[in-house]
Amino acid sequence: MDREGAETYLRLLAEAAMRGSLAPAAEPRPPDTSRLMAVGHALTAVGALDPVIAEEILTDFRLAASVRQLHGDPSQGPGQGSGQGSGQAVPVAQWLGQGRAVLHRKPHPAPATAPSGSAPSGDAADQERADRFVPVGLTVPFRAGEISGELCLMSFAQTGTGARFVAAWAVRTPSLEPQLGYQHPGLIPFDLFTVTDDRGARYQLDHTPGSDMEWPNLISLSPAPPPSIRWLDVAPPYRQAVRVDLRPEGASRASACDAAQVSVDDTKLSPGEHLLVMLAERLLSWTPEFPHGGRPAGLVTGPPSGPWRTMAAGFGTIVAALEAADVLSPLSPVPARLAALCASMDLNGHGIAVPPAHDLPEPWLSLLAHYQRRKPEPTQMRDGYAALAVSLPELDGIRLTLLGLQHTQGRSALHVLAQGQTPEPRTGPLDIDLSFPVSLWLRDSGGRWHAARQDRCHRAEPESAIRLRLVPPLTRPAVWVEVLAGGRSAEVRARLPLHWRYPS
Amino acid sequence: MTGMPNEAWFTSLPPCAATVPCGQGRHTVRWEAGELQLASHADPEAELVLAALGGEKARCVEIAQTWRRHLADLTVLGIGPRSTADPVEVSWDDVDAAVQAAEGGGWGVPRHGAMRLASPPTAAIARARVFRGQYYREAGQDNQRRLDMLSLLALGPEFQVRLSGQVAAAYADRLDEPDEHGRNVRSVLTAALGGRLAPVAERWLGIDPDQVAVSLHRDAGWGSVELTGHGQQRRLLVSLPAWWLARVWACGLALTGRHLVVAVERAGWPDAQVLALRAPGAEPVSLSAHASDGPPGTGDAPHWEI
Repeated sequence: MDREGAETYLRLLAEAAMRGSLAPAAEPRPPDTSRLMAVGHALTAVGALDPVIAEEILTDFRLAASVRQLHGDPSQGPGQGSGQGSGQAVPVAQWLGQGRAVLHRKPHPAPATAPSGSAPSGDAADQERADRFVPVGLTVPFRAGEISGELCLMSFAQTGTGARFVAAWAVRTPSLEPQLGYQHPGLIPFDLFTVTDDRGARYQLDHTPGSDMEWPNLISLSPAPPPSIRWLDVAPPYRQAVRVDLRPEGASRASACDAAQVSVDDTKLSPGEHLLVMLAERLLSWTPEFPHGGRPAGLVTGPPSGPWRTMAAGFGTIVAALEAADVLSPLSPVPARLAALCASMDLNGHGIAVPPAHDLPEPWLSLLAHYQRRKPEPTQMRDGYAALAVSLPELDGIRLTLLGLQHTQGRSALHVLAQGQTPEPRTGPLDIDLSFPVSLWLRDSGGRWHAARQDRCHRAEPESAIRLRLVPPLTRPAVWVEVLAGGRSAEVRARLPLHWRYPS
Repeated sequence: MTGMPNEAWFTSLPPCAATVPCGQGRHTVRWEAGELQLASHADPEAELVLAALGGEKARCVEIAQTWRRHLADLTVLGIGPRSTADPVEVSWDDVDAAVQAAEGGGWGVPRHGAMRLASPPTAAIARARVFRGQYYREAGQDNQRRLDMLSLLALGPEFQVRLSGQVAAAYADRLDEPDEHGRNVRSVLTAALGGRLAPVAERWLGIDPDQVAVSLHRDAGWGSVELTGHGQQRRLLVSLPAWWLARVWACGLALTGRHLVVAVERAGWPDAQVLALRAPGAEPVSLSAHASDGPPGTGDAPHWEI
């Protein structure tokens, strides 16, 4: 890794951007801060550049660009330009008071306490031994006054940070249409549920501590049950209990765990290649933010072209920066694949110097084919869920456990628990999330691939419960899925049989 | 090819002067032979002592102090001018407005109304105080640096270029040491070279400045200049020592008589001996350059001819 090369590249890019802003032209060209930011993010994401140095470079660039506008054209008021560099005068007080460039988001504050029900503190080995993941697949109907519904328990997960069910629910009130999902958790009368184990001990159900609109379908169980218990009876108010079998050989165990076929292959991606793959998959799975509007030519269901083009416009510069930092070989096939992806999506101006490749990864091709469909695919999928509890082999220090698959209101989601060395939450170039540096794809039994991109995350060190949205969503109840999880050093494939359940 | 000349880098630069609002009048600040001179202040050191005892500090004296503080400040190379086509115009009115804004606190630092809690969390308050104190310190330091920079820029383009030369000279022989802020000196000087050489190359060859690739030459000799490729792949590959920034560019010698000057063999004003290229890939030739200064006080760069 060439850290000096990385710093020099960003500084030279800032010089080029300065030239752009200084060039005499009919319309002054604004300094290309967004590209600088994207490259700064990329170089810090791969560890080639200290974020503080990157921020200093960006801050100095902004100061240099704006000091040249102290005597800009006063006829262009501040509201008429597109910000700094658009030619309008910058008041000197504004120049003086510019904040430092901020490249990385501050980490989200971690919950002050572990989830209720967390195991007593012990060494890591003890906690490791305590991990228990059980597929559940049970629906618990409930009613309390005018509120009724179903609690759909997908899986049970007990780790060093506590015990919880991964669940979905449907809540009915006189004013609410029932929908399976994760809305209105506060309406579920958890305090009226009783949970007992095979020894008569009682437990409390509750939302995940610190829950908010972003909580990822977690219902905590406290205190954490001892590892030796065989089952839990979950009883809603005034109703018969539903028994959750926690034994490894339990009859309620869906066969997914045992039947999972798992294989591991070495990949050995360089840090630069890995980042480019994440960028490509970000581009491919960006759809949900932009469900309507204009799209690149030939794409029927993709996002509007504007944001896509803006995102792709930085790729060539990022590739060059990664090569300058010696974290991407000039012989790497990944930039050519990224160029091919851009070409397939009719995104010109990406600036990648190498010609497009002909060998795109199969999941990318599948998603491109989906985007290029002439009309939306009819869905034959009811709202439902499939129990899962499958731990994948460790990838780059991260262990993923798949804890459920859910389809609700035309959206599909995969629930996972990530344990181990997950990086602190921070944003990478073009807004990719660096805290989950794993590429996840699902292939359904119909042969279609679905990108799994992070939707919600609940972080409680040393693990994160993550809800991943599938792009595109499932259109049929797959009888099995193949999960492809890719890291820098290896990729894991696991084929899992599914048993869908549908609440009434 | 050529050894380092013995003369100081600025020997090819004429004196320059600027007027500065100071007290009730305007005073002349001069730069000559690498030194800032305050013509209207006979004993600046004594004035500093008086200022320390509560007296008012003269702006000329402040500027001389600021100049000294930034003689080795790499930020100068990032903010200062890249070429004569890149004027950085700052007036003393701008400086006064900035000082007023800074004193009024109308910049940057967030201010929040007091909030009352039923039970004040003392630990949180203590943490907030520490954070706020640190924030104020950093914001204060940032703003002092920016005020300094604004004052130095207000001295005008001749001083701006000379200060850039001073900074480049301060680091030209110690590229492998980080500066006091941990910046990689080689990276900063490479970018400074790129930012200043690219517009020169554009005037020299008509090449797109973005097609100029620079590096710092480390070994003996003047470096290299090569033109490669065609069309979009055309590149001017330039490798020059960091001293080029001070001895050549800051002295206004970079493009002289349609030659790219790559080194100064004998510095002097108004006559210097330079090593210059007629075209990329050619062997440099030794040429005599003669300078004519722009009109005094106009800020025009020296004009050199072969």
